[in-house]
Amino acid sequence: MEMKASKRQLLLFVVIPLIPLVVFWIIPLIVSLWLSFTDWNYISPTFDYVGIKNYTQLFASQDFQQAFAHTAYFTFFSVVPIIVFGFLLAVGLNKLKRSYKFIQALLFAPWVTPLIGMSIVWGWIFNSKVGPINQILHILHLPEPQWLTNPTAAMWTIIIVTIWKNAGWAALFFSDALAKIPSSLFEVSDMEGLSWWQKIWYVLIPLVSPTTLFLVIVMILECLQAYDQITVLTQGGPAGSTTTLLYLYYQLGFKQFQMGSATALSIVILVISAILAYISIRMSRKHTYY
Amino acid sequence: MKKVQKIQGWALFIILLIIGLLMVYPMIWMLVSSVKSANEILNQPLQLIPRSFHFDNFTNALKAAPFMQWLWNSAWTTVVIVFMQLFFSSLIAYALTQFKFMGRNVLFAIILATYMLPSATTYIPSYVILGKMHLINSLIGLVISNLANVFVIFLLRQSFMSVPKGIIEAARSDGASEWTILWQIVVPMNKNAVLNATLIGFITNFNGYLWPSLLLNDTKKQVISVGLNSFSNTQGAFDQTFPIIMAGTTIAVVPLIIVYVILQKYFVQSSKTSSIKG
Repeated sequence: MEMKASKRQLLLFVVIPLIPLVVFWIIPLIVSLWLSFTDWNYISPTFDYVGIKNYTQLFASQDFQQAFAHTAYFTFFSVVPIIVFGFLLAVGLNKLKRSYKFIQALLFAPWVTPLIGMSIVWGWIFNSKVGPINQILHILHLPEPQWLTNPTAAMWTIIIVTIWKNAGWAALFFSDALAKIPSSLFEVSDMEGLSWWQKIWYVLIPLVSPTTLFLVIVMILECLQAYDQITVLTQGGPAGSTTTLLYLYYQLGFKQFQMGSATALSIVILVISAILAYISIRMSRKHTYY
Repeated sequence: MKKVQKIQGWALFIILLIIGLLMVYPMIWMLVSSVKSANEILNQPLQLIPRSFHFDNFTNALKAAPFMQWLWNSAWTTVVIVFMQLFFSSLIAYALTQFKFMGRNVLFAIILATYMLPSATTYIPSYVILGKMHLINSLIGLVISNLANVFVIFLLRQSFMSVPKGIIEAARSDGASEWTILWQIVVPMNKNAVLNATLIGFITNFNGYLWPSLLLNDTKKQVISVGLNSFSNTQGAFDQTFPIIMAGTTIAVVPLIIVYVILQKYFVQSSKTSSIKG
C-alpha cells in the first residue's frame, strides 16, 4: 500500500525538488504561450496584447513558410535514410559472428562525440577546395559541388551530418528488436524456402514495425530540434536555405528580439512535438516492443 | 555450403568494418589534421599518416584561447547538474511511486505530457527569469536553470515502479525512514536506470550548445562547445588557420572520446533508454 505522506515528507520529497521544475520548466512553458499573444520586444518595459496577430503574421510571412518547408525537407530526407541505414546495419550486425561489440562501438561513436566540434570538422571535410570529399570526387572525375555555398548542397551537407550522427543510434534499437525475434520464425521461413530479401520484407520488417514507428517519431523530434550542425556549418544560409523552424526561432528571439513572434513560433514547434509525443505514448501502450 | 557461408560471413564483416571506419573517419581525420602543417593539409588532405608531426599546433591553440578553462567549466557544471538532477528526480520519483498525496496524478500527467517537448520553448522566459535573479552570464545560472529535468524524473519513475511493494513495507515496519529506504534500498535496486540517466545527462550537458551560448558572454565563462565554436569563428576558415582549428577541436573532443572508449559498453546500453534528450 502506498503511504499517506506527512507534511514534512511532502516538503522534502515533493515541494523542494519541484521548485526548479516549476521555475525553469512549467512556468516558462506557460509564459511562452502568454508572451506569444503580446508584442513585447525584450527591451521595452511595457507591451500590449495583440491577440493572435503574432500567429497570423507568422503564418503569412515568407520566412516562416520557407522555414517550414526547409524543416519538412530536412526532416524527411534525414529520417528516412536514418531508419533505412539503421535497419540494414542492424540486420548485418546481428548476423555477425565476430567483433560485434567493436563494430557497434564504431557505429555508435558519432552519437557520443560533441556535435559542435564534429560539425567544425565536417565543415572542413566538405570544404570545396581542400576537403577530402571533393578531393575524392575530383579523382573520380565526378562533379564537385560547392557544398556550403550552394543552397541545395548546403541543405544536403546538414542532412548528411545528421544521418551520420543518428544512423548508428537507430541501429542499436533495431539490433535489439531483431535479437528478440524468436529463432523458430527463421526456421519456418527457411523451410518455406524464402529468399533473403523475402525474409527481410515479410518477416523482419513487420516484426520490428513498433520499433520503426518509435524511431521515426523520436528522429522527427530530433530533427525539429536540430541546431548545432546548422549554426556551425551554414548559420541558416546561404540565403536562408538551411533555416529551419528552430533556427528561425533563434533568429527572431535572440537576434531581432521579436519576442512575440519568437514565442509564437516556439509554440508552433511545441504543438508539432506534442502531437508526435502523444502518438508515441499511445503507441507504447498498445504495443510491447519486440 | 559451409564454405559459402564462411565467405559470406567474412564479406559481411568487412563491409560493416568499412562502414564503421567511415563513421569514425571524421574523428581520425581531425586527429591527423591537428598535427599536420597547413601546407601538408592543403597539398595532401587525404594522407592519413602525417609526414611530420607539428605538436606546436596544440600549444598555439592553447595560447590563442583558454581551452583548459572551458573544459573545466563544462566539467564541473556537468557534474553538478547531473548530480543534482539525479538527486531531485529520485526524490520526486520516489514520492510519485510510494506516497499518496493530493495532486500526485496531476503531477505525473504534467511530467508525462511534457517530457518530450522541446526545451527551446522555455528559453525566452528562462532567460528573463535568470535575468531577474542576476544570473545571466554566470555558470551558476547555467547550473540552476538545468536542475530540473523531466526526462530523468520520467525515467526513474518508470524504473522505481518495478520495486516490489513488499520490500518497502518490510523496511517501513523495521522502522526505516523514507529517506533511508530511498537512498539505501530503492536507488541501489535501480542502479541501471541511475547509470543510464547519469551517462545520458553527462553527454547532453557536456555537449550542450544552444542554451549556454545564449546565457554566457564572457570568454572566460564559456563552456567548451560554445568556446570552441567562437574560437573556430574568430580564426576564420582560412587555409593557414586550419591546423590550429583542428588542434582546438581535438582538445575539445578528445576528453569525450576517452570517456567513451573506457565506458563504451555502458554508453551503448544507456543510449537506448534515451528516447529523447532533455
